Amino acid sequence: MNRKRVITLAGRVIRQTLRDRRTVVLFLIGPLIIVSLTALLLRSEGRPAPLGIVNQDEGATVLLFGQVRLADRIVAAMSEGDALVPVPLPADEAEAALRAGRVRGVVTFPPDFSASFAGERRVRLQLTLEGSNPLQATAVLSALMQTGMRALAGLASGSAGGELPLSVDVTYLYGGPEYDLLDYLAPPYLVLIVFFFVFLLTTVTFLRERSQGTVERLMATPVTRLEIVTGYMLGFLAFALADAALLLGFTVTVIGLHYAGNLFDMLVIESLLVMVAVNLGIFLSTFARNEFQVLQFIPLVILPMVLLSGLLFPVEDLPGLFQPLAYLLPLTHASDALRAIMIRGQGLAEVGVQIVALLLTGMIMLALAAVTVRREVA
Amino acid sequence: MADAVTLDSVCKSFGALQAVQNFSLRIPTGITYGLLGPNGAGKTTLIRLIVGLLRADSGRVSVMGRPMPDKDMLAHIGYMTQTPAIYSDLTVRENVAFFGTMAGGVSPARVNEVIALVGLSDRADSLGRTLSGGMRQRTSLACALVHQPRLLLLDEPTVGVDPQLRVQFWDYFRQLNAQGVTIIVSSHVMDEAERCDRLGFIRQGQLIAEGTGADLLAQAGARTLEEAFLTFAGATQERPLQEKMPA
Ligand SMILES: Nc1ncnc2c1ncn2[C@@H]1O[C@H](COP(=O)(O)OP(=O)(O)OP(=O)(O)O)[C@@H](O)[C@H]1O
Ligand SMILES: [Mg+2]
Repeated sequence: MNRKRVITLAGRVIRQTLRDRRTVVLFLIGPLIIVSLTALLLRSEGRPAPLGIVNQDEGATVLLFGQVRLADRIVAAMSEGDALVPVPLPADEAEAALRAGRVRGVVTFPPDFSASFAGERRVRLQLTLEGSNPLQATAVLSALMQTGMRALAGLASGSAGGELPLSVDVTYLYGGPEYDLLDYLAPPYLVLIVFFFVFLLTTVTFLRERSQGTVERLMATPVTRLEIVTGYMLGFLAFALADAALLLGFTVTVIGLHYAGNLFDMLVIESLLVMVAVNLGIFLSTFARNEFQVLQFIPLVILPMVLLSGLLFPVEDLPGLFQPLAYLLPLTHASDALRAIMIRGQGLAEVGVQIVALLLTGMIMLALAAVTVRREVA
Repeated sequence: MADAVTLDSVCKSFGALQAVQNFSLRIPTGITYGLLGPNGAGKTTLIRLIVGLLRADSGRVSVMGRPMPDKDMLAHIGYMTQTPAIYSDLTVRENVAFFGTMAGGVSPARVNEVIALVGLSDRADSLGRTLSGGMRQRTSLACALVHQPRLLLLDEPTVGVDPQLRVQFWDYFRQLNAQGVTIIVSSHVMDEAERCDRLGFIRQGQLIAEGTGADLLAQAGARTLEEAFLTFAGATQERPLQEKMPA
């Protein structure tokens, strides 16, 4: 081994890398940003879940305590605790509030709630859950049980047979107990996988097109930039849709994913996302001189999307300052829309907001891409 | 007849570097025009200005009477880049057909015709990345020719092409001239220069002499074009060693 040659080689590697400023900065700063972001998200306290209360309890006379309305005691216990925020609702508005996402669940106290406690020393609560997120459902259910038990603690000393004085009947608006975490995570995963591959494919393909001189050569034909960008979009759309359909088919049949929606609606959302991904790829390929620099976009572009778009943490649970950020990301809207379609079986009309958001992002990206396809390749 | 290309006091800089300086030139229709100059003289920059890939900082560039850049004119212009710009994942035939379609659409028969013309018929279905350097060069030429342009800009078209094929190319260029096609060729190979109808000597972004080969020889009192170039270059400024052109 010739020491001089080895040292010269090492020196060359260092000099080359240092000359690529962006790589150096990213190499040093990138990990810090990623770690702080993750820590911030993991450390952030779960926000209390809003829970709708339909209180029809007429009260009853309980031995030693006189006239009580048991429901009020439970609601008061909720207000004291930090897991639930009671939201009083009239019975006929409860379901609408749940559908609109204003509350995570609705508890109904029937008129004979206190009376049945006075008689049987036991009560049943009725809880309706939104149901698409099994983690949230479990959290609400256990918080309700704990609060209820705490409220009844003083009263239920004489309960018969060692049985718990409180039981909860759960019904689900969407999904149900057979829906597991996979069902909840599948929509954002589908979105992320398609986005990620289309983005990488476009960036690398376009970069290659730039470096082998064919963009310059294309610019010497009557082709317009918009035509180039649209052509790219359609080309990758074919791959992305085939990919999405295959992936969905596989997860539904082989893995046993629950799926309530319409395949066509789902592919519409995927198409919009592809439009964003292709144009973002073309735009960002302007800033990459080689494939290595394309790789650097992964932590820069993809990671924030993974952390903030509701894939790992539900957007409603993000710390306040990240929420507007999350809604700027196309992936947030795409996974919201896909969740609505796949789990809740809703149609395109019900995800209009998300479609508009995706279209808008897509248009902005398209404009950026068309501008950076540039006639003058410097 | 109108000039194929007119350059009128054209300037183009890249940052502080003046790549083309106050350049004026008229190229008549139906001839082969040679742009000659050493590395970095500004030949490629000039060609890109004519195609409209670059916009002049000042001055005017027009092709067949239309100011450039002009998208519509590009359907009548064929451009062969200095380093072959072809898709390595497409076959020769697919490359030629692709650029033909981009230029406005051509028939499959025309695609085969140009592939035969550049002598690649037996490799028509080979992928770009499996071709030799000279074959890539020829594919690139086929892509520039396929849509039957009225103006053909060839940036060092015969570098890396074997002598036999080179002779065929020049015969074909002559045929095109006869059909009224104007050809602009950049080169620093002097025996190619002798085949051009007119020549422009370029040095440091400036036109230092222009005319037919015979004119230039007579003006410089030289026996070869290389001698003539060096005479003109020496007259404008003392000639640094690296500007000596390869014969
Ligand atoms: N995109 C660019 N950015 C910066 N400088 C450039 C650019 N293109 C060309 N130049 C500079 O302009 C000058 C002329 O370059 P040009 O490519 O036109 O030379 P050329 O005559 O074609 O040379 P060659 O025979 O080597 O192909 C050179 O000094 C070159 O470095
Ligand atoms: Mg050149």
